[in-house]
Amino acid sequence: MITLLLISIAVGLLGSLTGLGGASILTPILVLLGIPIKEAVACGMVAIIATSSGSAASFVKQRITNIKLAMYLEMFTIIGAIAGATITIIIAPVFLYFLFAAFLLTSFIKVRSSFKAYTLPEKQDRISKWLGLEGSYYDESTKQVINYRCTNSILGGLGMFVAGLAAGMLGIGAGAFKVIVHEKVLKMPPKVSSATSAFIIGMTALAGVSVYLFSGLLNVTLMAPMAVGVTIGAVVGGRWLNKIRDRNLKILFLVIVTLLIIQMLYKGVTSL
Amino acid sequence: MNSLSLGSGESKLETIISYILIIGVVVSVVFEIIGITLYYSSYGNLQISQDKILFISGQNFFAFIIDQTQHLFGIQNALLFITLGLIILILTPYVRAITSAIYFAWEKHYKYCLITLFVIVVLTLSLALH
Repeated sequence: MITLLLISIAVGLLGSLTGLGGASILTPILVLLGIPIKEAVACGMVAIIATSSGSAASFVKQRITNIKLAMYLEMFTIIGAIAGATITIIIAPVFLYFLFAAFLLTSFIKVRSSFKAYTLPEKQDRISKWLGLEGSYYDESTKQVINYRCTNSILGGLGMFVAGLAAGMLGIGAGAFKVIVHEKVLKMPPKVSSATSAFIIGMTALAGVSVYLFSGLLNVTLMAPMAVGVTIGAVVGGRWLNKIRDRNLKILFLVIVTLLIIQMLYKGVTSL
Repeated sequence: MNSLSLGSGESKLETIISYILIIGVVVSVVFEIIGITLYYSSYGNLQISQDKILFISGQNFFAFIIDQTQHLFGIQNALLFITLGLIILILTPYVRAITSAIYFAWEKHYKYCLITLFVIVVLTLSLALH
C-alpha cells in the first residue's frame, strides 16, 4: 500500500502537471504491477472523483466554470459513463487493453490552448440560445472580462456522451477528449473549457462508480491509497505548475505515455 | 460580474458549490488516511490483499450506507473508515447536484432545475439499482 501511495502521489503530480489527469497513467501502472485490469479501472474511477472535486473547487470559486453549461453536458456524459461501465463489467478484459492503448494515443493530440483572442461564434443555434449557453469570466492574465456564447449544443452533447462512454469503460476522466469537444464543437474559450471539464469529470466518474461499486471489483486496499495519493499529488502539482519548464514536461509526458501504450499493447497481445 | 448570464445570484451558487467540493474531498481523504493507519495497526502490514472482505459488496448504495453506519463502533474500524471516506467522496458530486437543483428552483430557473433533476434521477437510479 505504501508503494501504491507513493506511486499515486507521483502520478497525481504528473497528471496535474501534464493536464492528463491521474487515472490514465495510474491504471496501466497498476496493470504492470499485476492488478487485474477491471479492478484497476474501477479504482481509477474512484480516484478521479477526488482529483476532480479538488481541482474543480478552485475554478468554481474563481467563477471560471460555467455551471449551467456543465449541468447541460452532464446529462449526456453520465448516461455515457453508466453505459461504458456496464460494458466493462461484461466484456473480456483483453478488449480493455487495446481500447486503453488506443485512448492513450488520443492524449498526444492535446489541444494547445491558443493565445489567440477568443472570437464569438457568429451564429448560435436555437437550442443553445433557448438554454442560454453563454457566460463571462474575468481573465486574470489580460485583466479583461471575456464574454462568450456556445453553439452546436446537440453535437456537443453527443460528443460528451462518447467522452462519458470512454471514461466509464476505462476508468479515466477523458478530460483531454472533453476539452476538444468543448473548444472545437461548442466553441468555449480555453480556460472555461478546462475548468468546466474538471467540474464535469467528477460527475461522470460518480456515474461510473455507481455501476462498479457493487460489481465486486472495488478493492478498498487499492482504492484508499490511490485516492489519497492522487489527491495529494494533484494539489501539490497544481501549485508547481508555473515553476516547471514546459519543454522538459512535454518530453517526460511523451516518454511516459509511449511506454504505457507499449505496455498495454504487450499485455493485450500476450493475453489473446 | 458581467451581464451576459452570470448574475450576482449565481456567484452565490458558485461559492456554495466550491465549499461543498473542497469539504467533501478533505473529509474523505482524512477518513481514508485514518482507515489506512487503522488497517496497519490491526493487520500489521500494508499489503494489498485480494481477500474477499476487502472488496466492496452489498445490494445498492443506499442500503450500503445504512449497513455501514450500523457498524460504526464494530471491530472492523479500519475498513469502516475507508468505506466512509468512499461514501463521502461519492456523495460530494451528488450533494452538489442536489444543491444546484434547489438553487435553480429557488431562483425560478426552471429549465435548469429540470436538467439538474434529470441528472439526479439518473444517478439515484444507477446507485439504487446496481
